[in-house]
Amino acid sequence: MADSIRVVIVDDHSIFRSGLRADLDASVDVVGEAADVPSAIAVIAETQPDVVLLDVHLPGGAGDDAAGGEAVIRGSAPTGARFLALSVSDAAADVVRVIRAGARGYITKGSSGIEVSSAVHAVAEGDAVFSPRLAGFVLDAFGAVAGETATATDELDRLSAREQEVMRLIARGYAYKEVASELFISIKTVETHVSSVLRKLQLSSRHELTAWASERRLL
Amino acid sequence: MGDMSSSAHAPARPPRVAAPPRPPLTRDRDCLVAGVSAGLARHLGARVWMVRGLFIVLTLCGGAGAFLYAWCWMFTPWAEGESAPTRRMPVAWLLLAPAAVGMLVVLSWRGGSDWLSGTIPPGPAAAVVGGTAVFATGAGLWATLIDRTDTARGPRHTMSIRILAILLLALMFTVLLSWPVARSGVALVLIPLLGLAAVISSTLIPRWRELSGERIRRIREEQRSQMAAHLHDSVLQTLALIQNRAGASSEAARLARAQERELRAWLYDGDAPADSDLPTDLRDYAGALELDYPVRIDVVSAGLSAERASGELAAAAREAILNAARHAGGEISVYIEGSASGVDVFIRDRGAGFRIDDVPSDRLGVRESIIGRMRRAGGSGRVRSDDNGTEVHLSITAGAHQDRPVARTAASREENRG
Repeated sequence: MADSIRVVIVDDHSIFRSGLRADLDASVDVVGEAADVPSAIAVIAETQPDVVLLDVHLPGGAGDDAAGGEAVIRGSAPTGARFLALSVSDAAADVVRVIRAGARGYITKGSSGIEVSSAVHAVAEGDAVFSPRLAGFVLDAFGAVAGETATATDELDRLSAREQEVMRLIARGYAYKEVASELFISIKTVETHVSSVLRKLQLSSRHELTAWASERRLL
Repeated sequence: MGDMSSSAHAPARPPRVAAPPRPPLTRDRDCLVAGVSAGLARHLGARVWMVRGLFIVLTLCGGAGAFLYAWCWMFTPWAEGESAPTRRMPVAWLLLAPAAVGMLVVLSWRGGSDWLSGTIPPGPAAAVVGGTAVFATGAGLWATLIDRTDTARGPRHTMSIRILAILLLALMFTVLLSWPVARSGVALVLIPLLGLAAVISSTLIPRWRELSGERIRRIREEQRSQMAAHLHDSVLQTLALIQNRAGASSEAARLARAQERELRAWLYDGDAPADSDLPTDLRDYAGALELDYPVRIDVVSAGLSAERASGELAAAAREAILNAARHAGGEISVYIEGSASGVDVFIRDRGAGFRIDDVPSDRLGVRESIIGRMRRAGGSGRVRSDDNGTEVHLSITAGAHQDRPVARTAASREENRG
């Protein structure tokens, strides 16, 4: 029980849910499934999972389907569940929106069961999951490419020099472990940096985050 | 000669010659009035003046020629081209001139008050009034609807014709109205009024066309986005699932991935710029490689890059990606970062790695096509390889990659060798 992570899969395609369920490794225990916003909120409230694998596009929300993922995150706020967004979407706007709504990262639907499982573990432990593309987008949106660097530690609108280094290595395809050995820091420190970037992504009011996201494709 | 003699033997059957294909029936964009006669003459292989004469003669036969002309005008398409049609004949002025003459006639009648004394029969009176109104209205409509897009005339021309036509019709209307005994018919007063209404309201027609065009575009856009949403939900999910279940480097997964990329490009990149930049170019190249090698190439870009896809950096990057696909396989990450000071490209693979010193000196791939090429272009290429994979780092500073003739010839010489 201590090792097994309780997961709920929320996706409107049953074939995808069953495929993913079969692919996840033994350390992940799928305790529930849901296909739309109301049933997802109900299942999450009932099963109290550690991690929710959440499709970005979901029917049954108040607005259009693209906002379904956010609606689930908002509706499940009282539970302690952490959210990992699953997306086939190409629109950076959708992915950034669910992350700003509270998801701890996102992963593409083409990812293998092993990748999804390890991402689930990372999210369950409170870490953020950053794909190379999301890292590239973050570097872009926070002006790191143009040379903007945060001077104070509590600044939300720019990345610190160290965070930029970590993001660059992730964008270059390095795993957290490789980033750590490259920068001569511990994995825990890398995870701290990534989490702080995620916090900035969620809280920052930089207009590029939304403006650029709507112009660019992320996946 | 042989033909001649054989035809002499069989004079009843002259040799049949296949008719040369006729030029298509189209109207020139640079035409006299509408391009009908010139187009028809070219299509039939006749002279233009003959076709024009035929139209005129037929018109005299109860107006058949005019109808035929109008019919050809409606159904003959414009010749291929981009420019707006331009007409050499000032049709609007030619229509306005008889209207002005007719107006003068009506005014002279009015001055002489012949109508009062009944010397003017109602028949010719109606013909003159009607003809004048029709010509003035025709001039106004022609200027508004047809000459408006003509670059040789422009809006000022349209405006002056319209004003003159409206003045003529209004004058005619007041003259007829003030005629105390214009009892020859309310209809006669109504003719210039109708013309006036037609000329004034004709500006609404282009606007209405624009509006309906806008509506059609919006409907198309809506349908497209509906279709995109549907494909997104069903087909992309299925393709993702296929890749997921079939294993990253299997044939099915590669096909599904290529199909997914094409579909995405179609769905989202509607109006991509034709001249591709570096990230787009490398993405396309990676997509093509994925079909040939069991690899998955992830291209990430940050910043705005002014680097052209045809530059030396792009060539070196392509070479590095090809090397990674050929020798390492599996997952390959490409990261492009473009800033004001320069462009960096990283290509990382997860292969077994190699030592650059171990590569025989006659193998040109890495040393010449990547490192040497970058050095000649004024940038740098570095290769780092260990057991966990290889990373190639290409970098070029802004301004260094100007088209230097030395770099160019060196590169082309090398391509000849390789």
